[in-house]
Formats: sequence, structure tokens, C-alpha cells
Amino acid sequence: MKELIEYIAKSLVDHPEEVQVREMGNGSRIRIELSVAKDDMGRVIGKGGKVANSIRTLLRVAAEREGKQVTLDVVEPE
Amino acid sequence: MNARTTLEIIAPTVEEAIAQGLAELGLTADAVRVEVLDAGSRGLFGFGKTQVRVRLTVNAPAEEPAVETAPAASESEPTPAPVREAESQPEHDPLLDQAEAVVSKLLHLMGLEAQISAHYAENDRPDRRVINVDVRGDDLSVLIGRRSETLNAFQYVASLILGKMVEQFIQLVVDVEGYRSRRERQLIQMAKRMAEQVVKNKRKQTLEPMPSAERRIIHLALRDHPSVTTESTGEEPYRKVVIYPKED
Repeated sequence: MKELIEYIAKSLVDHPEEVQVREMGNGSRIRIELSVAKDDMGRVIGKGGKVANSIRTLLRVAAEREGKQVTLDVVEPE
Repeated sequence: MNARTTLEIIAPTVEEAIAQGLAELGLTADAVRVEVLDAGSRGLFGFGKTQVRVRLTVNAPAEEPAVETAPAASESEPTPAPVREAESQPEHDPLLDQAEAVVSKLLHLMGLEAQISAHYAENDRPDRRVINVDVRGDDLSVLIGRRSETLNAFQYVASLILGKMVEQFIQLVVDVEGYRSRRERQLIQMAKRMAEQVVKNKRKQTLEPMPSAERRIIHLALRDHPSVTTESTGEEPYRKVVIYPKED
């Protein structure tokens, strides 16, 4: 699931080297945190969150196949 | 040789199912055995129209190599763009290859296995690229999702990735096992049926919420209808088509 997010994010941004994906939590509930360069935020979020929500939809399929529940948060770079 | 020897097809009629299957296998009717598995189950996706299920079994080991490159079931006419014929036609279109690669990579990362074939859509133009991507395989209903939400999200993300790669927006239309074309036929039939009711009862009818591409099919299907008009109301994702009787 982490790989899925990594692939999508790196493919959409101008600065793939700044893409960071962290997978947190254990068991069946997982939280994935995606951080990208500041000026790439719009690319992974999209107008009205359309891109981020589409990514979440795909992530849900991947998660269901592993019997898990996953949330995705896009966070500001530190 | 792992050429497929049997193929199951779901379509509104037996004839269509057989035609679709033969097109996919690239064979003629005398090369296969036809079994009708289900001669009219309720529509897979809730709409009234019945569906039949047909299994085609290839009689003798076929000469034809590639099954993956079968023309799309969604197309009634041969594609104008070069139809990809794997080995027999070494000419690869780089853009189609890239489209296939993106879709394949995404599916793989989502834990799904499928055969993929991309071809230019009939309405593809240099200033507005449209590529159809057919995805075939088992257990792919998770890729369609409720009201094709998942499929739409998938094709959106895939289009964005491809667009970024080639620095030009490319609209990918991803179809799973001919779902979109089947759904289009069902929607058109339903639209016509609903329009008849509207005319008969002289009362508006509100349809179920649908994504924009499906609403468009309804609007187009009834555009030239003499006694009804259509309009969409509500907010996404619950936006729906309303059919009104025409004032006279």
C-alpha cells in the first residue's frame, strides 16, 4: 500500500525526490502519511481534494485485498 | 503456449455474447463450441435488462497467438489507429505502451492481476488525446466499485500520471470486461423506458444518482425525444438526471 502511494505521488509531482510516505499503526488499521514539496501539494490534493480522494479510493481497494483499513493524510513537509 | 481455450462472456443477448467472444478470441464461429450458461439472469448491476452468460470453448489449439490484443468489445467498428497485434506487428506505439505500463503498474500495486490492452479511441484527436484501455481478468469487480466510482478514480489517476509523463493531458477511458459499454446500453434502454413513463403519467421522473459520464449518456439518449426534456440536479456525487414531460 505504501508502494502504491509512493508510485502515484512520485509520478504526479515536480520533485519526486521530496516525496515521503510513512506507514503507521499496526494490525488492521493503518494510517499513511504522504508528504511532498510545498509547491507539489496542489498536485496530490487537486481541486477540491479530487486527486487525493481518488488516490484514497484506490488505496481502499489495495487495503481491502489485504483485509485492512487505511486512511491517507497529506501533510505539509517539515 | 498459454492461449486461452475457454472464455466466458456476459452480454444482453446470446448473439451479442457470442459475437463479442469470437471477436476477442479472433476466431470464427466454427472454431468454438458454444455453451449457454445462463440464458437470462437479472442484470448484474441492478438494471432491469437481463443478461446472458455464454462460454466459448476453442475446438482445436488455435494458431492465433495473442489474446490480449483483442479489439475492444466497446467498439462496434475497427479502430482507425493501428490495432496492436503483438508479434505479428512489431510496430509499437510508444504512447499506447506507456498507457498500458501505467495501468499495469497501478493494478499490480493495488494487488490486482489483469490483461491490459490500449488503443486510440475513435474520438482521439491530436489536440485532445483519448485512449481506451481494456482491462480483462478475474475478480475485477472491486475495480469498478459502486456506481463505477472506483473505476472513475482509477482512470483519473492513471490519466494524470500518463499526462505528467508525456507532458500533455491524455484522457484514459478504462473499461473492465466491457463494463462501460454494457452499462451504456443499459442506461440508454432505461432512459427510453423512463421517458415513456414520463409521457404516459405526465409527471417528472428522477433517476438514481450517477457520475457525470453516465448522466451524459442519458441526456444524449433523450436529446431528440419529442415529448421529454432532461436536466441534472443536486450536488456531486449525488447529482441525478430528472426527466420532465415537455410542456405543450
